[in-house]
Amino acid sequence: MRIKYSFLLALFLLLIPFSALIFGQDGAAASGETESADSLALTLPAPVTNLKAINTPNDHGHSFTVTWDISADDGGGLKNVLFYRVMRSDNPDSSFKQRGENKLPRGASTYQDNGSKRKESDDFSADFTDFYYRIDAITIDSNVFSSSGIYGPVQSKGEWYNTGRTPVLVAVIIFLILTMIFVALAKKGADLYIRPLAGIEAVDDAIGRATEMGKPILYILGLGGADQIATIASFTILSRVAKQVAEYQTKLIVPCYDPIVMTVAQDIVKSSFMDAGRVDDYKEESVYFVTQSQFAYVAAVNGTMLRELPATNMYMGKFYAESLILAETGALAGSIQISGTDEIAQIPFFVVACDYTLIGEELYAASAYLGKEPILLGSLKGQDMAKAAIIVLMIIGVVTANIGGETLENFRELFKVIN
Amino acid sequence: MRKSSLMVLATVATLFIVSWIFKGIALEDIYESNYLQGFLLTFSAFLTLSIMSFLYKDNPFYKFSEHLFVGVSAAYAMVVGFWTTIVGNLVPRLSESLSNFFQIPYQEGTYNFFYYLPVIFGLMLLMRLSKKHGWMSRIPLAFIIGTTAGLNFIGYLRSDFTNQIAATFIPLLGAAGEWKGIGDFFSNLSLSAGGQLVMMLSNWVIFLGVFCGLIYFFFSREHTGLFGKASRVGIWILMITFGASFGYTVMGRISLLVGRITFLFKDWLGIIS
Amino acid sequence: MRRQIPFALVFIFGTFMVFQYFVPHETSEWIYEYLLDWIAIIGIFALALGIWSFYKVSVDKIKDKNEDWPYSVISLSGLFVMIFFGFTARTGESWGFYFPALLILTAGLGMFTMAYTETSSSKSKTSAMIGLGLIVVFVIISIMDNSWNFYFYTQEGLKNIAFISFFEHIMIPIQATMFSLLAFFISSAAYRAFRARNLLSSILLIAALIVMLRFNPYLGPVSGLMADGADWLINVPNLAAKRAIIIGIGLGIVATSLKVLLGIERSYMGKG
Repeated sequence: MRIKYSFLLALFLLLIPFSALIFGQDGAAASGETESADSLALTLPAPVTNLKAINTPNDHGHSFTVTWDISADDGGGLKNVLFYRVMRSDNPDSSFKQRGENKLPRGASTYQDNGSKRKESDDFSADFTDFYYRIDAITIDSNVFSSSGIYGPVQSKGEWYNTGRTPVLVAVIIFLILTMIFVALAKKGADLYIRPLAGIEAVDDAIGRATEMGKPILYILGLGGADQIATIASFTILSRVAKQVAEYQTKLIVPCYDPIVMTVAQDIVKSSFMDAGRVDDYKEESVYFVTQSQFAYVAAVNGTMLRELPATNMYMGKFYAESLILAETGALAGSIQISGTDEIAQIPFFVVACDYTLIGEELYAASAYLGKEPILLGSLKGQDMAKAAIIVLMIIGVVTANIGGETLENFRELFKVIN
Repeated sequence: MRKSSLMVLATVATLFIVSWIFKGIALEDIYESNYLQGFLLTFSAFLTLSIMSFLYKDNPFYKFSEHLFVGVSAAYAMVVGFWTTIVGNLVPRLSESLSNFFQIPYQEGTYNFFYYLPVIFGLMLLMRLSKKHGWMSRIPLAFIIGTTAGLNFIGYLRSDFTNQIAATFIPLLGAAGEWKGIGDFFSNLSLSAGGQLVMMLSNWVIFLGVFCGLIYFFFSREHTGLFGKASRVGIWILMITFGASFGYTVMGRISLLVGRITFLFKDWLGIIS
Repeated sequence: MRRQIPFALVFIFGTFMVFQYFVPHETSEWIYEYLLDWIAIIGIFALALGIWSFYKVSVDKIKDKNEDWPYSVISLSGLFVMIFFGFTARTGESWGFYFPALLILTAGLGMFTMAYTETSSSKSKTSAMIGLGLIVVFVIISIMDNSWNFYFYTQEGLKNIAFISFFEHIMIPIQATMFSLLAFFISSAAYRAFRARNLLSSILLIAALIVMLRFNPYLGPVSGLMADGADWLINVPNLAAKRAIIIGIGLGIVATSLKVLLGIERSYMGKG
C-alpha cells in the first residue's frame, strides 16, 4: 500500500502544474461599447405610442405586463431618447411614481411590473385595485422627457391554473396511466421479465461474503436529506439489505449524515429485523448519526472503514465531492464495493473505484429488483414504456427538425414549459 | 504504549512547542496576542498534517483530529441551526412576546398560527425516544416524505426533463432545409470543424448516443440481438462521458491540494511568500 | 390505524405539492412556502435526535471500553465545548474566569459520564458526587463572574471569539485538508482504472487521457486535431450520454415519487 502511495505521490507531483491552469482562467473582461453623447440634442423627443398594460398571466397576481411602441426618436429621428421610465399611479391625474429601481435602456418596449405580495412591504401592489400607467421617454438630461398618454385603469389578479405548464400536466397524466396499467397487469399475474443487473446480483453475494468472513456491512445513505428521491430509493434498498442481514445475522453499520435520514433508517432496519423474526438482534446503535458537516462525516466514515474493515461497502443515494474519498478508502481497505447515485458528476468516480455501480436510473430500479414484488415490477415496466414513448417523440422530433420551419417550431412548442 | 509510539508522540509534541514559540515570536509585530495566534496557527497546521497522515495509515493523530472534528462540527451545526432556524425563522412567527424575549423583530402577518404545527411535528419526532409513543414520530416523517415526493415528482419533469428531450430535435441531414441531395453533399464535402459533414456527424452521434443510452436503461427487455448491440453502444458512450468528466475534474482537485500546501508553507512555516 | 395515518399524510401532502405546481395563485404559494419552512424547522428537532444518538454512541463506546474509547472522550468534549461557546460570550474586555469555569463544567459533565459508564456502583456514586460538586462550583463561578454571560436569547454566541476561532482553526483546516486529499485519491483512482484491463475501463481511461491532454500544461496550449478532438468529445458524445442519463434519472425520480405517493412503495417506512 505504501509503495503504491509513493508512486501516486510522484504522479500527483507531475499533476501539480495543471493547477496553474485553474488559477489562470480569468476570463478577459468584456470591453464595453461607449458612444459619444455629442449628437444628442436636448429637444423634446416624440412620446411612446400604443401603450398597453395587462395583468400578467399565469402568476400569483400583484404584477402587470406593460408594452408600448418605442418613441420615433429612439434609434431614428432625433435619436435623443436614452431611457424609458415606467410610471404608475392609483390616480389617473396625479402622483405617478417610477416603477423599478432603474430606468430602462432605449429600445425597450416591454416591462413586467412585479409588486410585492407582502402587505408589510413598501412595494406592496394590491390585487383588484385600479392602476394607471404612463411611459416617459427620457433624453440625456433626465429633466427633459416626453410622457405618453395615460393607460388605465387595469387590475392585477392571481390565476388558479398556469397554462404554460400544460406539457408537464400531460406528461404526469400519461405517466400515471402507464404506471396504473402495468401495475394492474402485474397484479393480475402477467409474467414480467427484467434483465439482470450486475450491481443488484452482487448485493446477495456481498452479504453472503460478509457473513462468511464474519465482517460487517457498511451502508452509506449519502449526503442527501430525506427530501431527495435518491435517498428514498436508498431507503428501499436498505430495507431489503437489512432483511437479509438479519437472516444471516451479519453486522450492519449505517452512519448517517442527516438526522431525519437517521431516524427513518433506524425504523427501516428495526422493522426489517422484525420481519426476519430477529428483533432481539437489532441494535439501535448500528444506525447512528455522525455529524452534519460533509468532510467531518467523511473523516469519520473513513476511520470506520479502516478500523472495522467491512467486507462490503454500499454507497446508495446522493453523493458529492466525498464520493471518491470514500470509495477509494474502501477499495484500499479491500472491501467489495457497490455504489449507486444519480449525481452525474460523481458516477465516474464510483465507476472507477467500486466493483459495481448502479448508474442513475438503475438506482431507482434497484428496489423493484430486490423486492421482486409484482406491483413494483409493473411500475418498472411502465417506466420502460415511458422511455419508449420518449424515443418515439425523439424520432418524430428529428424528422421535423429536417423539415424545419413551422413544423419544427410547432412541435418544439409542445415541450415548452414556463417556470 | 510501545516505545516507538512514545517516541513519535514526544517528537510531535516537541515540534509543536517549538513551532508555537517560533510562530509566537514571528507574529509579535502583527498581533497583540501573538502567542495565542501562534498556538492557533500551529494547531491548524498540526490538524492539517494529522489528516494527511491518514494516507500513510490510520494512526492516533488522525483519530484525534477526526474525533475532534466530528464533535465540534456536530455542535456547530446545532448551534447555528438553533440561532438561524429556531430563533431566526420560527420564533418571530409564533408570538410577539416570544420574539421580544429573543430580541428579534416580530413579523407581522396573520398566518403565524401555522407555525405551531411544525413545532408539534418536531415534538412528535422527539417522541421516538419513548418506547410507547415512538410510533408518533412517523407522522412528521410522513409529512416530510410526502411533501418532498410531491415536489420531486413535478420538479424534475418541469425543467430539465422536457428541455433535454426538446434539445434532441436536431436535423440529421444537414441544417434544416439545406439538404439538396446526395450529389450536392459529396461535391461540397469538407473536413473543417464547422463544415456540414462534421456538423452532420455530430448530430448523428448525439441522436444515436441518446438513443442507445436510453436503450441501455431498458429494464424489462432482454438485451440481445440488435437491441443488445444498441445497449452495448449505449454503455460505451456512457463510459466516454465518465472518462471525459473524470479527466476534467483532475485539475480542479489538484488545485485544492495546492491550497493546503500553500497554507503549510506560507501561513505556517513562512518559507514561501 | 397507526399504520394508515402516515401513508394518508404522504398522499395528502404529496398530491398537494403536485397540484400547487399548476396553481400560480398566491394562496398556493403561501402554503408551499410554509411547507418548506416547516421541513427546515422539523429538521432542527431531528438534529436534537441526531446529537442524542451521537452522544449515546460515544458514551457506549466509553462504557464498553472499546479500544478507541479515549477518542470518544475527545468527540464529546469537542461537542460540549463548542455548544458552550455558542451560547456564551464575553461581556467586557477580559475573559475573567471563563475558561476555568468551562474546564470545571467539562470536568463535571465528564464525571457524570464516568458515573454512567462505570460498572461498579460505589465508584459510580463517587463520580456522580464529584460531578455534582464541580457543577455547583461552575454555577457559583458563573453567577459571581461578570466578565462573561450566558446568552440563550440573543445571537451573541455566534460572535463569541472562542466560537469563531474553533470554527476557523479546527473546522476549516480539517475540512480543507479532507477536501484536498481528493488530489491523492484521484491519482490512485486513475491508477486503478489503468490497471483494470477490460474494454469499458479502457474506453473510460482513453477519454480521460484525451481530455487531460487537452488541458495539459507541459506542451503548452494544445491546438489542432488534438484540441478539436477533445472539444468534440466534451461537446458531442459527452452531451449525448448526459442527456440519456438525465432522461433516465427523470423517469426514475418520477416513478419513485409516484410509487411513494400512491403507497406502492412502502419499505421506506418501517412496519409495526
